[in-house]
Amino acid sequence: MTMSRLGIQSTEVIDRATKLRFKWNGKRFSGFEGDTIASALAASGEHIFSRSMKYHRPRGILTADYWDPNLLVQVGDDPNVRAGHRLLESSMDVRSQNAWPSLHRDLKAANSLLGRFLTAGFYYKTFMRPQWLWPTYERVLATFAPGGKIDIDTPHRYHDKRYSHPDVVVAGAGPAGIEAALAASATGAQVLLVEHQHAVGGHLRFSSGDADQAALTQLQATLAASDVEVLTDSTVTGRYEDNWLGIVQRNHPIAVERLIKARAKVLVVAPGLIERPYVFEGNDRPGVITSGAARRLINLWGVKPGERAVVFSANADGDAAAADLDRAGVEIAEIVDARERRRISSTTGSSRAVDAVVVDAGLASNQRIDADLLVVAAGWTAPTSLLNMAGDRPVYDATAARFFPSDPPANVLATGGIVGDGSLDQLRSHGAATGRLAAARAAAVRHRLQAHTARALAVDGTEPAWAPDERSPLGRDAHPELYRSDTHGMVDYSEDVSSKDLVAASKEGYDSVELAKRFTTATMGPSQGKLETVNTVAAIAEARGETIAEVGTTVWRPPYAPLTLGALAGRVFEPVRVSSIHPWHEAKGVTTIQAGQWIRPDHYGDPAAEVRNVRENVGLIDVTPLGKLDLRGPDVSKLLNLLYVNKWSKLAVGKVRYGMMCAEDGVVLDDGVTGRLGEDHYMMSTTSSGAGGVWEWVENWLQTERPDWRVHVTPVTTAYASINIAGPKSRELVSRVTSGVDLDPDAFRYMEVRGATVAGVSGCFMWRIGFTGELSFELHVPAGHGLAVWEALMDAGSDLGVGPFGLEGQRIMRLEKGHFIVGQDTDGLTLAPSTGMGGLIKLDKDDFAGKPELVWAADRRLPQIVAIQPDNPNIVPDEACQIVRGDSNEILGRITSARFSPTLGRSICLGQVEPELATGGTKLTVLLTSGERISATVIDHHAHFDPAGERLRG
Amino acid sequence: MLLVPCPNCGPRNSADLRYGGESHARPDPATASPSEWRSYLYLRDNPAGWLRETWYCASGCRRWFALERNTATNEFRGPPLPGDKRGGAA
Amino acid sequence: MADVSKFESPVVASYPPSSGGDPTLADVSATTKWLVRADADGPTADQLGAAFGRSQVAAGGALVLGSRPGEWIVLGASVQVSMAVAGLEQPEGLDSSDFVSALDWTHGRALFRVTGHGAARMLEKVCSLDWSDPMTPDGAVVSASVAKVTCDIARNDADGAPSYLIFCDRSFGQYLFDALIDAGDEFGISVVTSTA
Repeated sequence: MTMSRLGIQSTEVIDRATKLRFKWNGKRFSGFEGDTIASALAASGEHIFSRSMKYHRPRGILTADYWDPNLLVQVGDDPNVRAGHRLLESSMDVRSQNAWPSLHRDLKAANSLLGRFLTAGFYYKTFMRPQWLWPTYERVLATFAPGGKIDIDTPHRYHDKRYSHPDVVVAGAGPAGIEAALAASATGAQVLLVEHQHAVGGHLRFSSGDADQAALTQLQATLAASDVEVLTDSTVTGRYEDNWLGIVQRNHPIAVERLIKARAKVLVVAPGLIERPYVFEGNDRPGVITSGAARRLINLWGVKPGERAVVFSANADGDAAAADLDRAGVEIAEIVDARERRRISSTTGSSRAVDAVVVDAGLASNQRIDADLLVVAAGWTAPTSLLNMAGDRPVYDATAARFFPSDPPANVLATGGIVGDGSLDQLRSHGAATGRLAAARAAAVRHRLQAHTARALAVDGTEPAWAPDERSPLGRDAHPELYRSDTHGMVDYSEDVSSKDLVAASKEGYDSVELAKRFTTATMGPSQGKLETVNTVAAIAEARGETIAEVGTTVWRPPYAPLTLGALAGRVFEPVRVSSIHPWHEAKGVTTIQAGQWIRPDHYGDPAAEVRNVRENVGLIDVTPLGKLDLRGPDVSKLLNLLYVNKWSKLAVGKVRYGMMCAEDGVVLDDGVTGRLGEDHYMMSTTSSGAGGVWEWVENWLQTERPDWRVHVTPVTTAYASINIAGPKSRELVSRVTSGVDLDPDAFRYMEVRGATVAGVSGCFMWRIGFTGELSFELHVPAGHGLAVWEALMDAGSDLGVGPFGLEGQRIMRLEKGHFIVGQDTDGLTLAPSTGMGGLIKLDKDDFAGKPELVWAADRRLPQIVAIQPDNPNIVPDEACQIVRGDSNEILGRITSARFSPTLGRSICLGQVEPELATGGTKLTVLLTSGERISATVIDHHAHFDPAGERLRG
Repeated sequence: MLLVPCPNCGPRNSADLRYGGESHARPDPATASPSEWRSYLYLRDNPAGWLRETWYCASGCRRWFALERNTATNEFRGPPLPGDKRGGAA
Repeated sequence: MADVSKFESPVVASYPPSSGGDPTLADVSATTKWLVRADADGPTADQLGAAFGRSQVAAGGALVLGSRPGEWIVLGASVQVSMAVAGLEQPEGLDSSDFVSALDWTHGRALFRVTGHGAARMLEKVCSLDWSDPMTPDGAVVSASVAKVTCDIARNDADGAPSYLIFCDRSFGQYLFDALIDAGDEFGISVVTSTA
């Protein structure tokens, strides 16, 4: 078979004035603007494009379009590019895949000799046992795996994403799809027309008939003048609930790909039909092509597909291909007309090319015809994928020899070849009627959406009724049922699955098509069933002696066509939040840590020094992420009583109390302090990570369990910049910048709250609490002034040795004080009494979240959080190290927090242990990550430092 | 993606809401037996068919409501009920 | 050193000066904003006027947004907002069953304004809502995720061009501002100075 470039064709889409040079396996080639990679190579005489997956057989063009299973190539660092679809670009570096060492001398073709061993299920059966060999199997098989090479150093490329809410999305821009889009648009509907190919027109594009070309020109012009938004080289990849569609746009100017998530009011499915190969011996030999491939090669790209052809025709498209071949100067050796019950039996030739076609074997007319090209028009596959995704199950029609949609939902309509046959005019008018119906139904959906959406423009009148389907259905032409000839051949070209394999699978008991598919991998390769599904079903039906209708078809799931991971990832949104003091931290060269979405100061160079400064002088930490909920109303104290395990009824104005919250299962949910700012006004603080969750938890209680309570909750976490001023000199520092508050230790005590003006900023409040164990003031400043107040404090305290400290310093100090952190020292099973703060729990309250579980837990001996010191003060165990019994691996607890304490000069820990180990003085064995076991001692108090809490009350 | 008919905002993408599942009505904590309480915490009917379930319109109005949905077809029926959290088989 | 008398915006990065274009993005975080809560159909709701999902200009010029059932955001110059919220928490003249609270949210929320005929196309890149005129007309108010941050959004057309006010938690301000610039890049967005 020799392909070559023809003279100018009136229908061609190439620009012969623009020559593009590119490389194919390192050699120089050229093509024209408008060529696909495959058409350029074919025009240059190349006819082997890949090696088959299992047997590494040479493969040539089969369909010459997106679905061609033999045309997967590597372009630069881009693997698995479809050379039948991807347009040629200047300087492309194109390479073949799945061949080693080269496409022409592929040593793995030895697999062909082993063909009878590589039967269906070979991998499943062979590489099962022994299990210890799995890693070896994996390594060996990986070198044989098909597909291109992934370059992990590939530069990041921009992928875009957007949302869209069109009235009507039309998937497929053939004549019926274009008419549907135009008709819908003419009613004023907003229409998105999505075409998989590079241009609209469908099968008209590669038809040389004058009437078809005239219709194409007219449709293109009308479309260009319409309001329809047209996306070419784009695919509706999936249809999900309520017509949520994924659309990948591959030709967007600003991005490699753009993913459009569209909520269509009505989806029109108009993908046309895909030509089906025919199964016979030698049907995958290079030189066997579909009629569509012949017509595309000749009419779109001016490529002569061979010298002497046999045409196997079951339909008008086969006849048209014969006419095109004849006009292109290909000698027609024979037209084998399937409608006259004639058959192709096999091809002969080398592995690389057809030399003859055997027709009608076993019949009187049996002949062997010399030819280098066999063009096959054996029938159609209806790509019902999007309809399947909408819940439709296609039904087989033996007369028309293909599947048809049965009953899609009312907001999904189908038109064009997928629903029937007819003249071009009939297809167009069915398309137009479908467009009008789609627009009418979309208007009803739009009316309903507007009527039910608070922000939308008001709509008048009652909702329009669901427009009835009054389209005249398209007819169905009789077509011979052509699946397998009297020989066996390839069914799935992508996966090297033959009809013989499917028969074998059926004999092994894989009698359902879904099972046989998984066992043989038929339909699971890159062509994803578009070419091979119906032949697979037919082979199984034949093996079982059933009809195709009885076997049924597989269910097509998203995506309709493969899409890249980049397209799925789209643009990545990763919100981060910072406090208003953040610019100061950055200016000081802070080392940050990301905690949830917050970027927080971890330290400013030396966390141990920051700790010493707080213990000796005064330090400032930015604790803005601390959750803050503003609570107002007469029933707040009832709410607090319900949410926290402790009592709140007697909290006086100006006082602050610590509280612990449990979920309904008694597990610790969050903790923090709440202060009473006014008669009916409280401020609740939560952990930084718990802020969002606690807000929802509070809303849940108020809305669903206690809707009669009068409480307004407002999250004000970032309305305030929060600064904890800690250390023995903190009162002195605060006094220098604060007005309106009596800071005397007897006037403003530990666990009290005051409103204040700080550094001239009014509307601040501060409470005397702290995580560090030092005298400390936690100051909350309206966020727009946070930076100024922080700077004023730094300025005012320079002679006091004031300095910043970060999260790490605070973590060390809280561990020195033995304060647990919810989620670090507790986990999803830690009941409130395990925290060592069981005394807080007031079981005499009528009700609070989680109370029943805590009542029942009161009699149980629960694991306890305890303070632990390794006996060797220099060993700091990793967090999550286990506490075990002696030399055994019996787990008795674990280390939940561990640090080296600069204050005590030794390692300190918190851990959870079994109750019998919770007494002070108990010796523990800690199993380190290294495997070494060390001894450690439980200490009497949670606090390693200042257990009496004298410093913080100062 | 499912469109969930929020009683306040109108139909919204399910990603805009938090699914509350078929939570049961909260038993009286003073009288509930352990098995009643744990049924409230952990046991769900999970029917294939009509289910009364709860949603929280997290990105929208921040209101809880209950709805009946057919888990086999994803149809919704009946008016959404604001502030309602009772779930279970419908 | 920061000036204690000056409101510092969460948007601290600097952007090339621009005289405008379409769309434009302005940081108007310093605008006074109050959050009012009351019964959704009580006398305070009547006084504020804006139904859930809609906005209304109050006497005195403040803009009142019906941000959630029983919740309103009132914004404008501080004197305008004061006029609009004055007396709301006083029980006189109101049904005593109406439980009302009002708090100054100026420091809690960043506020941006996106304006222009390309603004809706730009928002489609960061938000899944339908920005078409019938679904989101002038005066519409809605809450939604914008670039994965929950925001309140009000359409408030200016000089005949579609315009959107976007509120988010202050701490997300810089992130969201940059996400909006990124979304508007292909439409030629420019950052301008403006008041709300």
